[in-house]
Amino acid sequence: MKMLQESTLYIEKNTDILEVDINALVKCASHVIVPLGPLDTFAARNPWVGLEGQSFEQTARRLKDTCEVDMYPNHSMFQSAIDHGEIRQDFIEKGIQEWLNSQAFELPRERAEQFCRAAILQDDQYPSDIENLELKSVAKKLTNFTNYIIKSLSIKTYSQSLEQLGKANAAQVLNSHMIKWCKLFLDKSQAVWLMPHREEGFYHAWRKLVQHDSSLSRKVRTQLSELPIDAEGALKKVLIELGVSNSDIQEYLEAHFLALPGWAGMMLWRSQQSEEEASLLLDYLAVRVSMEWAFVKPYLPLPENRNEKVNLEPLIAAWTEWGNMPIDGWLKLSSAEIKKHLILAYRFDKIVRNRILLEAWEKTYEEHLKKMITSQQNNIVIPDVKPALAQFVFCIDVRSEPFRRKLEKAGDFETHGTAGFFGLPIETCELGSNHTHNSLPVMFNPQYKVKEIAKESKPFEQRNQVVSSLGNTFKTMKHNLFSSLVLPEISGPWLSLQTLARSFMPRSTGRTISKMLNTWVQKPSTELSLDKQQLSDSELPIGFSNNEKVHFVRQALKMMGLTNQFAPLVVICGHGSHSTNNPYNSALDCGACGGKSSGFNARVLAALCNLPNVRESLASEGIIIPKDTVFVAAEHITTLNELQWLYVPELSDKAKESFKQVQDVLPMVSEEVNAERIPQLPNLKSHLKNAKGEAQRLSEDWSEVRPEWGLARNAAFIIGGRHLTQDCNLDGRVFLNNYNWKKDKDGAILANIIAGPAIVTQWINLQYYASTVAPHYYGSGNKTTQTITAGHGVMQGNASDLLSGLPFQSVMKSDEEAYHEPLRLLVVIQAPTSYVKRVLEQNHVFHQKVKNGWIRLASIDTEGSWVSWY
Amino acid sequence: MVISLPVIFLALLCLSVLSGLLLLYPKVPLSFVQFHVGVTLLSPLVALIALVTSTETVIYGPWRFDSLSWLLALFVLTIGFIVQRYSVRYLLGEHSYRKYFALLTITTSADAAVWLSNDLRLLLVCWGITLLGLTLLIALNKEWVVARNASKQSGLHFALGWLFLLGAFIWVTQATGQWQLSTVLSESSLSQLDSWEKTGINLLLILAVIIPAAQWPFQRWLLDSVVAPTPVSAVMHAGLVNAGGIILTRFSPIFSGDIAQIILLLLSSVSVIIGTGIMLVHVDYKRQLVGSTIAQMGFMLIQCALGAYLAAIIHAVLHGLFKSTLFLQSGSVLHHSAEKPSRKNKPTSILWSITGGIFGLLVAIGLWMSSTQEDYQLISALILGWSVSIAWTQLVVFGSGRIGRIAGFVLFIGAAIIYSFVHDAFYSVLQEIIPKGIQTPGPVATLLLAIILVGSIVGVWLARHRSSTMYVRIYLWLVRLGEPQHDLIESHPKYLIQRFVRGGHLR
Ligand SMILES: [Zn+2]
Repeated sequence: MKMLQESTLYIEKNTDILEVDINALVKCASHVIVPLGPLDTFAARNPWVGLEGQSFEQTARRLKDTCEVDMYPNHSMFQSAIDHGEIRQDFIEKGIQEWLNSQAFELPRERAEQFCRAAILQDDQYPSDIENLELKSVAKKLTNFTNYIIKSLSIKTYSQSLEQLGKANAAQVLNSHMIKWCKLFLDKSQAVWLMPHREEGFYHAWRKLVQHDSSLSRKVRTQLSELPIDAEGALKKVLIELGVSNSDIQEYLEAHFLALPGWAGMMLWRSQQSEEEASLLLDYLAVRVSMEWAFVKPYLPLPENRNEKVNLEPLIAAWTEWGNMPIDGWLKLSSAEIKKHLILAYRFDKIVRNRILLEAWEKTYEEHLKKMITSQQNNIVIPDVKPALAQFVFCIDVRSEPFRRKLEKAGDFETHGTAGFFGLPIETCELGSNHTHNSLPVMFNPQYKVKEIAKESKPFEQRNQVVSSLGNTFKTMKHNLFSSLVLPEISGPWLSLQTLARSFMPRSTGRTISKMLNTWVQKPSTELSLDKQQLSDSELPIGFSNNEKVHFVRQALKMMGLTNQFAPLVVICGHGSHSTNNPYNSALDCGACGGKSSGFNARVLAALCNLPNVRESLASEGIIIPKDTVFVAAEHITTLNELQWLYVPELSDKAKESFKQVQDVLPMVSEEVNAERIPQLPNLKSHLKNAKGEAQRLSEDWSEVRPEWGLARNAAFIIGGRHLTQDCNLDGRVFLNNYNWKKDKDGAILANIIAGPAIVTQWINLQYYASTVAPHYYGSGNKTTQTITAGHGVMQGNASDLLSGLPFQSVMKSDEEAYHEPLRLLVVIQAPTSYVKRVLEQNHVFHQKVKNGWIRLASIDTEGSWVSWY
Repeated sequence: MVISLPVIFLALLCLSVLSGLLLLYPKVPLSFVQFHVGVTLLSPLVALIALVTSTETVIYGPWRFDSLSWLLALFVLTIGFIVQRYSVRYLLGEHSYRKYFALLTITTSADAAVWLSNDLRLLLVCWGITLLGLTLLIALNKEWVVARNASKQSGLHFALGWLFLLGAFIWVTQATGQWQLSTVLSESSLSQLDSWEKTGINLLLILAVIIPAAQWPFQRWLLDSVVAPTPVSAVMHAGLVNAGGIILTRFSPIFSGDIAQIILLLLSSVSVIIGTGIMLVHVDYKRQLVGSTIAQMGFMLIQCALGAYLAAIIHAVLHGLFKSTLFLQSGSVLHHSAEKPSRKNKPTSILWSITGGIFGLLVAIGLWMSSTQEDYQLISALILGWSVSIAWTQLVVFGSGRIGRIAGFVLFIGAAIIYSFVHDAFYSVLQEIIPKGIQTPGPVATLLLAIILVGSIVGVWLARHRSSTMYVRIYLWLVRLGEPQHDLIESHPKYLIQRFVRGGHLR
């Protein structure tokens, strides 16, 4: 487990900057951004993971100040949540009371309450109507009081300050230059003519090129050509020239990272991929700050502005409008009272108000969940002794919940929830591909490699090659001056045929094309390389040793709470999605598998569980898997709400019978789930007759921007037995992880769940949260105006930051209506209080998340009563 | 029957505009969009029937119906239909959804009407509406400052281009006293023009066509209009930029044999090279597509300059379909690039590569011998031969194993058959109506060949000397040519938040 990182580097005030360890400073500063990998393996990330040392509210203040990003939902989201009864008035009231208690104002309580109540639902920070002469004259008389309320501003980049002073659009120009250099450097061979010198590293390449860049003035070019030859020297030199004081350097660099968090994040990701590029972030800053220096040099020194006196007029206006206080009333107050009034109005600002509203919203949801779960506990039937016909293991993903609910209703089936990588730290490699994928949560590293193999794979590979050679021929011809000129005439007829077919019959065209491809390719039946082969020390071992096999199976079974009473058929279900023409389709795949389907991992686990020697070893430890129990693997296609078989070995008689029953009910189950889920997507028709057909269209239509809702509206993570939630309609909003504290005496399983799945779910949750509250900054903007760049990610319009989160369409029903409810994840643990305490003591990272409001925690103790932990 | 088809067509065109306008009325349910898209399919269907059944030219009021105008109307309206069909889902939820469909219908209908106009005044009005419609479509996200700026820029370019066209038309009608296209271009009225007048009119025409075709030095607007939603780009690259080729084809009686041809040839050759250069150095997918469009339009205008109007029309139509498809499926690029080509059998196939070269050469010679041996045919034969050799190398030589090679061969033959089939079909439909250009002066084709050859040799040399200063300079120059201006970049699209705050309601 990762230790808490030191996030600020302390530098003595009078240290010479040349002696400062600039690498360490850059590293510390980089905690404001997160690594951003390529889009085709989109894995959810918490954009604030490095900022969790501070509270949510503090971070919100800082980001608002530095880059004008709101971390709280906006007014209209709150307003409509209130309209829909999703925020209870009494929780708002309670929030106000608690805040007033924490502030210890000496104002008459009633007066303060009245002010807060009136202010809480206001859209504006303060009343905008301050053009009143009387108000102005009163404010003038109270000027002395401005000394009591001083706002300290965070450090901005010089180009930002310059822009705020209205002297030049330096920040915009700097950003567009940085975007240009980053995309050319990071390009994954989209361009035919590569950026020259780029193998020498970012700073070196830039330094050699920038002197010839005619989009810069001659003066700037000369200045830049005189920079030191190494990035470190350059960065230090320009920091000195800019006159950034030692104590400010880190925050100053952070402001630079926050200007384009996407491109900086991509640099950070690259720097983590290989040793050679480890100092890429330093390069990035050296380039960026050097250019800033060249742009702002004519304006130096800039006026220093660290503290700002607060304007009193809005505060007075607030009291007039929300506190019913006449303007001339101020002059009758004593100076102590004036001060108290002003401070109250100043402190009860938009961020505090939003925090209270968000907490009330979250509490309302918690109350709803609590009622649903606890009301059900009274009528829990003691589980049948008779084992189920079949057991299904699903990913904790919120989309599993509706499917599990319907499946359980359809027959004598039992379902379990566990993280979709099934505890296997593997890198996967599919047949005929030399591309490997890290199929595990992004915060871990793979330790094994598993390959898909086939006895006779040559013909398959050759046929596969034919398919890709068509694309390559197209590309080669496009990139040649002569052949590119006739390419439209050669490929035009084919492309238009496809376009017409996709326009008239979106559903069947996509299916026909993929069917034809499959028929052509004829993928042979494959096996997995499960037995250990160590090729070299530098590479990951392929497969597992016997002990490792037993270890991973044991761990997986324990994590999913399936160690006895095995049904004859155990189905390990991975999940993946199907969508067409969607750059974000990996965002709809399994978040625990690094943004790909978890089907591969499901296959590996099922195959391991069927190995006779694994079962023998497990039996000696007390985990007895009956002889006629067979593990099979399947993939839950979340777009279609279907289960497709991936691996079905020879079945025992009992298992055969179960398998048949499962086969029989599956069509009905997926129909029911579709009927529940599909109408939630925006549609032109008022009611849907054929939900299955619509689901197929969603997955095949090339013009579809919302093939499914993915994990939108996720809100809670329940760690506990399925009987807790068995009969609840959780509306596809809850991650479910099986856990039985009685089988976990030492708390090791719970610690594992908290360190792995809980973090994955929190990251997913905050990714959706951030993409909803700041779609332009933490989301990916509008899908319709995106352009894919450098083979890595997307930009908006002509050029923009490399966008990191989910697109607008994935969280919004329309431009004006949100679908996702931005709530911070509520983790509910079903375990005795002492278990929860223990896990908080052991896991500091988790404790910090709870303490600072990045996640919320509740538990259900042995008596079945609900405890909130904040 | 022959008379009634134009009537039916025009009525249906009006109907689709009406149903588009109806959408603007808020009480009409949103699901009406699907019906509307169905309506927009009717007029291209009629155009298709007319194209297949009727061969003669019909002048009907200010309209002119011949196989070229039927073909162009069919093409523009089909693109319009495809894009509208696509947008039903793609733009669902946009707040300017209704406005978008109305605008797009008006724009494409006006564009189709341009090519049906026989009266120059009508042509100008329709062309003006098309340009205005596109300007407004670029600014569809009007809260977005970048989109507004891009729209302003395109609008200015369009206005300039339109004024040049107006100038050319006024000049021509002043000199001949006619507003009817069919009579203006008759030999008797053309004989009233002095040769300097002809050149003047032609220069204005050239200016009027290279602006919408985004030719150097007017390529800026097309590069910066990438901010528009993807379907708008698709329409723009398919239906608007190629207008130049069509205008020149219509005006070929004036244009052919004039010195202005050489000017056009020079400008468009430069554009071919610049466009290709932009495509080669840039890394944004949509920007690469724009670069490619600039080059393709350059090629189309070269075809016009060499008098190969029929080839230019075929190119314009096929390129339109090609480019709109590439735009519409631009969401899939990432997944294509995931699999890198593996060149396992490269060393064993030197012999095969040589066969590719020889094969290409033979094809080129064969095409040249079998053609009418005009200037353009020589260039076309060379380009085709070159492409044949590349395709052969890629598909057959690099084919993996026996299966790979056989399949590659089949694909190659299939593509060749379809290619000649499509071209034959175009020829048989258009041969009558499209004038054959007068042979251009000999050195012109040689000049062109020299430009393109030097361009590509320099390109190959530069690509092999990546560390030379020359490469660095040209690379950065091309990057700069393709990069948007600073006021057309916003690091984060803040308008999303503003729109949301104003809009108001959750679910
Ligand atoms: Zn999953």
